[in-house]
Amino acid sequence: MAELLATAALTKRFNGLTAVNEVDFRVSEGETAGVIGPNGSGKTTLFNLLSGFFPPSSGEIRFDAASITRLPPHRRVALGIARTFQLVSVFSTLSVWENAVLAVLRFQPGGIRPGPFFFRSARRAPVLERCAEALARVGLTGKAALPVAGLSYGDKRMLEIGITLALRPRLLLLDEPLAGLSDHEIARVVELIRSLRGQFTVVIIEHKISKILELVERLSVMNEGRLICEGAPGEVLADPRVRACYWGKEAPAC
Amino acid sequence: MTFMPERAAFSVQPAARGALLRELALLAAGLLLLALVIRVHWMADFAVFFILVLSFDLLYGYMGHLSFGHMLYFGAGAYGAALWLVYGNASAWAALAVGLAAAAGMAALLGGVVLRTRGASFALINMAFNEIGHFLVQSPLAAYTLGEDGLSCTADPLFGAISLYEDRWAFAFCGAVLLAVYALLRLLTRSPFGLLVRSIRENESRVRFLGYDTFRFKWIAFVIASTIAALAGGLFTLVQGFVSPRVISPFGNVDVIFAVLIGGAGSLAGALIGAAAFLAIKNFLPVIIPELSRLLDVKLPQWELWLGVVLLLIVFSLRGGIVGTVQARLRNRKPAGEAQ
Repeated sequence: MAELLATAALTKRFNGLTAVNEVDFRVSEGETAGVIGPNGSGKTTLFNLLSGFFPPSSGEIRFDAASITRLPPHRRVALGIARTFQLVSVFSTLSVWENAVLAVLRFQPGGIRPGPFFFRSARRAPVLERCAEALARVGLTGKAALPVAGLSYGDKRMLEIGITLALRPRLLLLDEPLAGLSDHEIARVVELIRSLRGQFTVVIIEHKISKILELVERLSVMNEGRLICEGAPGEVLADPRVRACYWGKEAPAC
Repeated sequence: MTFMPERAAFSVQPAARGALLRELALLAAGLLLLALVIRVHWMADFAVFFILVLSFDLLYGYMGHLSFGHMLYFGAGAYGAALWLVYGNASAWAALAVGLAAAAGMAALLGGVVLRTRGASFALINMAFNEIGHFLVQSPLAAYTLGEDGLSCTADPLFGAISLYEDRWAFAFCGAVLLAVYALLRLLTRSPFGLLVRSIRENESRVRFLGYDTFRFKWIAFVIASTIAALAGGLFTLVQGFVSPRVISPFGNVDVIFAVLIGGAGSLAGALIGAAAFLAIKNFLPVIIPELSRLLDVKLPQWELWLGVVLLLIVFSLRGGIVGTVQARLRNRKPAGEAQ
């Protein structure tokens, strides 16, 4: 499989704390990869570096063989890197439909990019179709008219993934997509992620390891800022180093 | 087949064309009514204030960027027009154009600086630039602006016939510009651009992760808001025939902020209603308070104190201003009746 994303000695320091320490992380085109690790092991910091939330202290990030180390977030989205957030982040003062419009319009030919005012672009048929498609994929068609503020947390999570998919990413970064959800909602989101396999390249950070074990083809483990183990999920969880770092915190493959 | 959500979901879809025309008719009727109730003499000034408040609402209400330096652009429009009338020629159109161009150019340049900040820093850095502008017209440029003495200027009648020094014509002209500004902002705020500006207010960082260069859109909105403020300033010059450093003083910004807060930020109707309420308070309290004092035979404090009381009431009891409160009441009533 072709390599889509690769980091080289990626490091991020915050006032003496090294949150991400010389990490070499690779993602191949088309795979679904998982990143696990105890709290504070640097998983979210790694995502923040990959998505451009802040620049690294040192090291390099290459996407599709080109360096993106210092690109701002919106340029990375244009290249095809899209993410969701640990705490669901959608626009709660807008309606569900408007959230979709915002995501879809960005990459519409003749849409938002060239002309700033685009009065009519939101009513063009291709835009309407793609918004409807984005909501249908996450099962929110019937709630299009509702204000987001009134949605359940699970629906907000589905919407967030839906609008992120509407960006047509080549690499989708999901930061703890199951956090804070009920069992019923977890089942919906897991089902959605499973349906993405083969269509998108996905990297998932997750605490609920048991829920994503069957979803991911490859598992990476982080501890204290370092990538300590990588490989097929079964092998990784059997690795003594992984067991050691989880010992007393949570049992991995339960 | 294309899917169409209910219209309620979709503020970016311009409602039927009739809606905008209805709103404009309502606004025009409101202005005429106001002109009948109070003296026409004041109406041009009121229209100028309405335009200024609308421009501020785009920046603060819709985009969430509170500025204490918006008067810089009002003042640039006013002084630009006045300087042209004194040192250029007497064409009102050219004077307006010069004022707009001066303010737009300044906003384009300064926007590149001030929009790197947000929150309190944004408010204060704008005020700092405003103070600089105020100082410049007061003394370093006094050779041209005549400093505190102010600058008198005269424009030729529009189309050779319409003199803006006649109250009715001044009202008609400023009122027409107000309607045009309202229509422009209505279209803009209901367009996807408006959607983007509102989403920047809620969570700018998230908008960047949807792939938008938010700085660019903030800059466009800032330049538009500043240019509309300059349009109000240019009209002020044409109608008054006189400008002084007062028009570019950051102090005037307080009135604008109060008006938007009273009416409800983030709604054009709110901005207009707030501006009207503020003008009513500001113009009638000074008349009513002394009358009341005499009537009741007690010494009541000055009207500014009562303005403060009104603002306190609004901040504590009418969150979201007049329009925001009414909308929230209506919304709360509906779901109660419609719940499954």
